[in-house]
Amino acid sequence: MNRRQEERRAYYTRYKQDVKTRGRSFFPVAMFHDTVMSLLVVCVIVALAVIWKYSTPHEDPSSSGWLGKLYDEKADPGTTNFVPRPDWYFYFLFYLLRIFKWPESVILGTVLIPTILIVLLIALPFIDVGRERRPLRRPVAMTAAILVVISMGTLTYKGATAKEPLAAENLVLVPQWAQKQGFADNPVAVDGAKIFAQVGCMNCHTYEGAGTSNLGAPDLSSIGKTSNRGVAGFADYVSNPSKFGNNVMPQFQDLGADNLRKLGTFLQSSGNCNPKSSNCPAAGGQ
Amino acid sequence: MATQKQGRSHQLLQILLYPLDWLEERTSAPGRSGIVGGIKYFLFRNVPSDISWGHTLGSAALTAFIVQAVTGVILAMYYKPDPNSAYESIRHITDDLWGGWLVRGMHRWGASVFIILLFLHMGRVFLYGAYKYPRELNWIIGALILVLGMLEGFFGYLLPWDQTAYWATVVGVNLQATGPFVGPFLGPVLQGGHDIGPETLARFYSLHMLVIPGALIALIGLHLWLVVRIGVASPPWSPIEAGRPQPGPPPAERKGLVTPAPRGSGVRKR
Repeated sequence: MNRRQEERRAYYTRYKQDVKTRGRSFFPVAMFHDTVMSLLVVCVIVALAVIWKYSTPHEDPSSSGWLGKLYDEKADPGTTNFVPRPDWYFYFLFYLLRIFKWPESVILGTVLIPTILIVLLIALPFIDVGRERRPLRRPVAMTAAILVVISMGTLTYKGATAKEPLAAENLVLVPQWAQKQGFADNPVAVDGAKIFAQVGCMNCHTYEGAGTSNLGAPDLSSIGKTSNRGVAGFADYVSNPSKFGNNVMPQFQDLGADNLRKLGTFLQSSGNCNPKSSNCPAAGGQ
Repeated sequence: MATQKQGRSHQLLQILLYPLDWLEERTSAPGRSGIVGGIKYFLFRNVPSDISWGHTLGSAALTAFIVQAVTGVILAMYYKPDPNSAYESIRHITDDLWGGWLVRGMHRWGASVFIILLFLHMGRVFLYGAYKYPRELNWIIGALILVLGMLEGFFGYLLPWDQTAYWATVVGVNLQATGPFVGPFLGPVLQGGHDIGPETLARFYSLHMLVIPGALIALIGLHLWLVVRIGVASPPWSPIEAGRPQPGPPPAERKGLVTPAPRGSGVRKR
């Protein structure tokens, strides 16, 4: 048996001895403290629920009170003005995904860093094996802890304040895009652009400088030229990206064949219609 | 007269305590206490005399968990886990049912309070170095409770079936799908298909109210059992820290300090 083991066993024996001789009964003092704290917790939870409910205006229950809305609009897989916002304790992960850009490094943010964090958390007692418990004499552990708290705090704050573009804001840009990209004469492409602006594409993709680059998804301003999949090809891709090896992007087959064709026309037009090349889809939308 | 009275009150006490004795006898083995003895031990066991309010964070988190369990059971009586009626049932709970908004509000905000208390409790344990020998296993169990608690939040988030819930889950599931090897299979398994739909909601509901809470209850039970068995750590800076080697006096003299009841022995000597 090595020395450290002997030492810590002696420490534990001494601890049990000290508690037995110098400790005090859990009931009533310690239990009273626990009870007071528990009641406080229940009161805080009730208070939050009450504030949530009563700060929401009576005349319009769907509007937001101090603690946010009582309920959002019903889920609608087809159209939206959605903000994919997780609960606050996932904000730090949410923000990590803006730092690590796809496709090469998104796996760092989605898998590697969370896994490392969990492993470190579980392994802590085996990494920090010294017997010293006083914080001031554990400079490495305390510094590491402070750094973790600061970085998690910063990432959480950044994730909380990250602004998602709203569909209504993007929609205003459609005529400009049509002008600039040269598909204003093709109503099908314009309709496709409107769908693009509304269904959430721009929460991950940028287009003509608008939108948010999230999960490292590419800019689509000239995707028609760079990818050149054709109208049907783009529709196919968007309806089920995983078929093409893209497991990050959601599937959009719920949009329906007609909307997907419009979206495909818009994407194929991007980069191909100004100046008009042979790859620019015809105004008929065929 | 007086002895008769005493005898009667003694009898009355016997009758009142009989159910406890009955229970104790039927849960104990020879030489080992049963439920009543266990509860007595829990209540009257010694804890270090220098423990403070910092040590109440664990039971505070437990209280938040109990609030979640109770409000969750009530919500489950009215919630309908299918995409056509989930949203409507949440609105019904919030708007029509008496006290429904309170139960739902407590469940929603209690989740955040629970997570915050878990972090605070973990911070306290870290600060006190209480994850060190012999409490390593309890730290690991606590870390698992934290991870499961966060997963509980993830699966519960979809249930209101509103826009935020739906799209946050779309993003969440797609993120998991980026994982190596299992990633591409994880998405369809969680969703119960290629889209988030009726199967997804049923799966998330089952995980949220059966699988994860079950695991959490088991882990919390184990966590508490270890806390009682091993004992809580004194604050490391406490002058009367339990277990600290006494400075100065040689071991022989120190023995006298820790041996109980020097007063009693003194009386007998006289």
